[in-house]
Formats: sequence, structure tokens, C-alpha cells
Amino acid sequence: MTGTLIVERLTVHYGGVSAVRDLSFEVAAGDAVGVIGANGAGKTSTLKAVMGLIPRKVGVLRFGDVDLSGVSARDMVRHGIGYVPEGRHIFAGLPVEKNLLLGAYARKWNAETRTTLDEVYELFPVLAEMRDRLAGALSGGQQQMLAIGRALMSRPQLLLLDEPSMGLSPKLVGDILAVLLRLRAEGLSLLLVEQNAKLTFEATSSCLVVENGEVAMTGASERLRHDPRVRRIYLGL
Amino acid sequence: MQVTLQTIIGGVSLGAVYALVALGFSLVYRTMGLVNFAHGNVVTVGAYLASTFYLSTRLPFALAMIVAIGVTGLIGLVIERVLRPLENRDFDLMLIGTIGFGIVLDALIIMIWGATGRAVPSPVPSPPIDLFGLRIRTYDLVVLAIAAVATVLLVLFLSRTKQGAAMQAVAMDHEAATAVGIHVGRSNATAFMIGAGLAALAGGLVGPLLYVSPALGGALGIKGFAAAILGGFGSIPGAIVGGLAIGILDSFTAGHFQGYSELVTFLVFTVIIMIRPTGVFGERTVNRA
Repeated sequence: MTGTLIVERLTVHYGGVSAVRDLSFEVAAGDAVGVIGANGAGKTSTLKAVMGLIPRKVGVLRFGDVDLSGVSARDMVRHGIGYVPEGRHIFAGLPVEKNLLLGAYARKWNAETRTTLDEVYELFPVLAEMRDRLAGALSGGQQQMLAIGRALMSRPQLLLLDEPSMGLSPKLVGDILAVLLRLRAEGLSLLLVEQNAKLTFEATSSCLVVENGEVAMTGASERLRHDPRVRRIYLGL
Repeated sequence: MQVTLQTIIGGVSLGAVYALVALGFSLVYRTMGLVNFAHGNVVTVGAYLASTFYLSTRLPFALAMIVAIGVTGLIGLVIERVLRPLENRDFDLMLIGTIGFGIVLDALIIMIWGATGRAVPSPVPSPPIDLFGLRIRTYDLVVLAIAAVATVLLVLFLSRTKQGAAMQAVAMDHEAATAVGIHVGRSNATAFMIGAGLAALAGGLVGPLLYVSPALGGALGIKGFAAAILGGFGSIPGAIVGGLAIGILDSFTAGHFQGYSELVTFLVFTVIIMIRPTGVFGERTVNRA
């Protein structure tokens, strides 16, 4: 079962200053939606607020038939939502495989977990080679793959990704793009928050451009990538 | 040679107790990134509970220990529950909260059991074993065996079980642990409960070796803390090595420096830590800023 994520009137305050104001958007089942904007525009806050990791106000937060507005952050994964945090946030002192298994924490560890693990290793062969290494010893690109792999271990229907390209070389950004396209092709819904507009336009079908915590523009990724106003918003002109 | 070996043997059983205290410190640190300064006081509570069940209620020693561990584990849960609101606000506040809770426990101990101590007779009254001219107390062997079993169980729990892995993940990354569905509060509560259980085990075992008094936990707490640092804070093998090392060091200094033995023990400890600040097995630090 997959569903549409509906977010309406999402607001986040940090001590009186609002980081996100009345943001509304949808991610249809199997669709990929991007959120782009300059640094500090409220992209990460948006994602964290959807996850419930920071205090928020929200008019409607639904995923399929389920009302998520009262669901705690730790239970989001039990409703099919995987989260790849900004800056990887892997469990550095644990082996790679333990990191992945913990991704399936909310599920029973059984033969199915093993199958999922093999699928993740198939997607990221380098993680299979490093399975017994401490996650903290991996390179930045490998850690990013581990963070994505860990989120996939919960078998999510919707994956929230926060800046997966951060700090990666152009080649590795290309690898991440290939992975995102493949996950989309497999029917996973994606909500991708990125600074890297080029990656986002290629990975998604539609985008929100946020500016000062509000939606400045929305539209098909293909159209936005050629729109000069996007560049203007990005540069804060 | 004979004297040296006898001194080592004399230090090993107390060393095993220090190791158990150090394990409690390290477990809570490894799974929460927190130093629980009430740990020593929880040891005293465990020692009093075990000796009370053993002496007053006349339960068999093993049963008295188990009941004491259970009750003290519950106290650990209470400590975590009381301090939990502090954790969400500021982690340093929680640290200070543990100091405060320790003071409260100290006062409660004196209110319940009085300021004077009690002697606990050895539960294994058989005479010392003579091994190649070395005298080994039977109870020392019991202490060593129990400490070893507890350590193995703890290591298996952390390395083989889902809950054990999850608890370590919480200390490494709060937010990522939450996102994969781990209940951080429950994980912390479990850590405090096991830590308190280990404290009770240490306190119960040390009863027949030392005098059970309100000051017991202070002495054991500081030695166990030193043991954990010496081995590498948060490291399980480090806690064992550190505990045994402090115990044996203690035994040597007691033989050579009598009244100044504590001073010499901590001088040696300080010098080692200055040379190797991360301790023997210290490989990483958990940062929960």
C-alpha cells in the first residue's frame, strides 16, 4: 500500500523567529518532489518538521489514510516513512552492518530482514565489502550511501532525504542521482531537500522553491530548471 | 615472588568489584553519553539492600543479591524518569541532576539504615584454599566468577541483541536513532536500570569484603570511576582491565605505604592518565553536545 503525503500549512518557529511559514505541498504515491532554495531558506526545517523531530504546527499531515499530525518522530518509520538526515548521522561507533540492521529496528529481525539487507548490499556493493568496518571509518560518500541504505532497511514507501549531495564530489553526486532514479523506478516516493538544484531537477518530477520559509515558486522540475527566476531566488537577489 | 603473587591475589577480588562499578559507569556513558555521578551512591544502596535481605530477612545470600539487584534496578528506572525532563532541555543539567540525586540517596541511606555501618559475614565460610603456598579465599573466587559472568552477559547483550545495539546507537546519534524508530527515553531507562543493577551486584558482593557503611559508595564510586577512566571510558574490556588494575595497585600500596596507600594509588593513576589520557582501550569519545 502506498499513499500520498499531504502537508498543509506547516509552520516552524525557533524562539519567536519563524523558519517555515504556512508551507503546503503533496507527494503523490510513486512521485518524487524536490525542495530547493538558498541556505537558511527553511528546507531542513521543513523536513524535520514533517518527521516531527522539531516542534511544529501543521494544518494537515496525512500519508495515505493515516493522519500523521499526532504521530511521534520515532513512529513515523512504522508508517512507512524513511528519513535520511542531513550530514548522514550514521552510528559511527558501530559496524556498517549493525547500522543497516538498526535501520530495520522497527521491524522484526528475520529472514525478510536478511533479504532487505542483501538488496541494500546489491544497491551499494561497497557497503557489503565494508560490512564489518566501523561506520565512522567510511569515506563521506560511503557514509551517505550507508545513511540511505539504513533508511531503506525499514522498507519505506516514502523516503525523505536531506541534502544527500552535501560535501560530495561531482562523481559521487552522480552516483547518488543514479540511486535516486533507481529507487523511483522501483516505485518509492521521494521528498528530496537539496541545495544542489541540478541534482534535484534531474531526480524529481516537480519542485518547490522556498525562500525565507515560504514557497516562492512551484512547478515541473523540467520547466523550473530553465526558469531564470529560480537562479534569482537562489542567489537571494 | 611469593609475596608479590599473594598481593596480586589479595587485590583481584576487590578489583573485580571495582570493575563491576566501572562497568556501570561505562554502560551508562556508552549508551547515553552521560556520566552518572549518583552511581557510587547507588552502590551503597545495593550493598545495604543486599545485606538487609541477607542478615535481617535471612534470605540465602544468592537470593538476597537477586532481590537487591531487582530493587536497585527499579531505583535506576526512577532516577532516569526523574531526570528525563532535564535531558530534553540541556544534557549538562542532567549531569548535575545525577549529582543531586546522589546526595538525596546518601541522605535516604542514613535515614533508613543510620550513620553507622554493619559487618556482613562471608556467605562461604570454608577455609582458604592453599595453592602452592598461596592462600586464596573461597569467597574471592566466588566474586571473580560472578563478575566474569556478569561481564560476559553484558557484552553479549550489547553485541548480540537488537536492544543492545539500539542503546549504543542512541548515544552515537539521538536524532538518527529516533528516526529509525528507537524510543530514546526507554533506551536510557534500560541503561540506567542495568547500570543500577550492576551497582547493586558490586555493592552486594563487596559487603563481606568491606564494612557496609554510608561511606562505602563514595570509596567504591571513586575507585570504579578511576577504573573506568584508566581502561578507557565507555569501553567494556577497559572497565575490566581498569578495575583489576586499580584493585591490584590498591593491594600493593596498602602493603607498602599503609596510611598513604590511597594517595599513592591515585598518584600512579594520575601519572598513567597524563601519559595516556584516553585510557588503555579508549578509542573514541561520545559527543552529545
